[in-house]
Amino acid sequence: MVAAAKHPAENATRDYIDSTEFWRGISRSALMLQYCPVAKAFQHYPRPVSIYTGRRTLEWREASSTGTVYTITEGMIGSAAAGSEQRDVVIALVELDVGVRLLATVDVPASREVQIGDRGRVVFFEHPEGYIYYRFRIDA
Amino acid sequence: MSHSPIVIAGYAEIPVKFRSGRSAYEYAGQVFDQLLSRTAIPKELIDGLSVSSSLSEGSNPFLAGYMAEALGLQCHWLNLSALGGASSLAGVAAAGAAIQAGRTRLAAVISADAPSTKWGSNYGAYRAEFQAPNGVMGPPAAFGLLMSRYAYQYGDPTEALAKIAVTQRRHALLNENTCDKLRKPISREDYLASRFVAKPLRLLDSVMFCDGANALLVTTEDYARSIGLEKFVRITGYAECSNPNPGDPLLPLTESGFLQLAPRLFEQSGLSPGKIHQLQAYDDFTIAILMQLEHLGFCETGAGAKFVLETDISFSGSLPINTGGGQLSVGQPGLASGGLNLVEAVRQLFGEGGERQVRRAQNALVTGIGMIPYGRSWIISAAMTLEA
Repeated sequence: MVAAAKHPAENATRDYIDSTEFWRGISRSALMLQYCPVAKAFQHYPRPVSIYTGRRTLEWREASSTGTVYTITEGMIGSAAAGSEQRDVVIALVELDVGVRLLATVDVPASREVQIGDRGRVVFFEHPEGYIYYRFRIDA
Repeated sequence: MSHSPIVIAGYAEIPVKFRSGRSAYEYAGQVFDQLLSRTAIPKELIDGLSVSSSLSEGSNPFLAGYMAEALGLQCHWLNLSALGGASSLAGVAAAGAAIQAGRTRLAAVISADAPSTKWGSNYGAYRAEFQAPNGVMGPPAAFGLLMSRYAYQYGDPTEALAKIAVTQRRHALLNENTCDKLRKPISREDYLASRFVAKPLRLLDSVMFCDGANALLVTTEDYARSIGLEKFVRITGYAECSNPNPGDPLLPLTESGFLQLAPRLFEQSGLSPGKIHQLQAYDDFTIAILMQLEHLGFCETGAGAKFVLETDISFSGSLPINTGGGQLSVGQPGLASGGLNLVEAVRQLFGEGGERQVRRAQNALVTGIGMIPYGRSWIISAAMTLEA
């Protein structure tokens, strides 16, 4: 059962920095990340300035969604007490080929366990909380 | 401007409890009363106060002021130390600097928190959008990720982590301030059988939120003597590193700010890892101890497990680690946890370790860690050397 959805970006411009472009990208299955044209490098998660220059030398660019599993953990998330569904997940920290790390739950292949070094790509899905989000699908 | 060495000239600690039903203010009052009782000084002599930030009172930006009011202290120096598990260390260091600058003469550093009774914090920032939806709700998942990567790079550290957990529990059983729920021995087999919280992280790799408080009195050696405080330890080094290598989005997860602060710390104190008599290392999770041993230079990078397995880390051993049981086995009193091992270091250097007194008690290295970030080990690293 999907709990009453509260979109994580409900207050996207007020609670943190303006991440509207990231969420617009998600809605059309594109990974939009911050890019510093001075350093010629991406950064993620979004920040109010470039981590390379300390200045607001930032734009949003679509990033390649391919990458490699850097590390993983497995556990139960969600809380019945808090009204959300409990489920087992594999969580990965992924090194995207564009040079940033991305936290994501993993679309686990049926045939085998996920391992560090596995290749895959970011895909988009309906999160159990009721909004479109991303996860990492291991290559078959 | 004072040139007399900065010292810690008193300590106090309240037993750690799980869901005490009491607030951080109640705990602060208890520990302040004990501090005055143990040092026999009138409260009017205390003219400085550092309060550690608190999870249970995290929504109050004026916590330090409310605490000064609650404790009836007039302060010429007031500080809110908000470096997570490094708050106590940073508070003591800031008190020392304020004393050297002539702003205060005698400062109390009080850390009190009651997160197992009441939660009052919201970390905000990017977490709701980019972290929590991926299942990384708190430190266990972050440390599960860290442990996997560590094992991938350096080999499975399970046996060493088991030794740390078992040794610290043995220490905690000799500590009257240990939380009742944790007051039972554990074996290697118990450790191995404990459930995975965030695989490969086990329950017995992890701390349990509790309630508690600790306090320290900071002044100069000259002033301590002048008011009759004959027991004190000198602060001979302090260094921090927060957010190391911010321009490297691919910084190895197995690195921390301790790599950068260690040379500065040891240069200040003139000590080196081989000369350290006791290590009171911040221990929210067992793997953090291995990494600190490596990053502080007790052993080579990746050799932490081997070092632990080959070293007697008990209170009577060659390198006693977390002789009070640490927060892993005493219980983690929220953000007062950083003071837990600091108080234990002072207690040991005062020769008041009781049944768990270390053999060599001329110096101690104490560390603090704060804040679990996105895709990195931890943000804040701090370390202090103390000498009797």
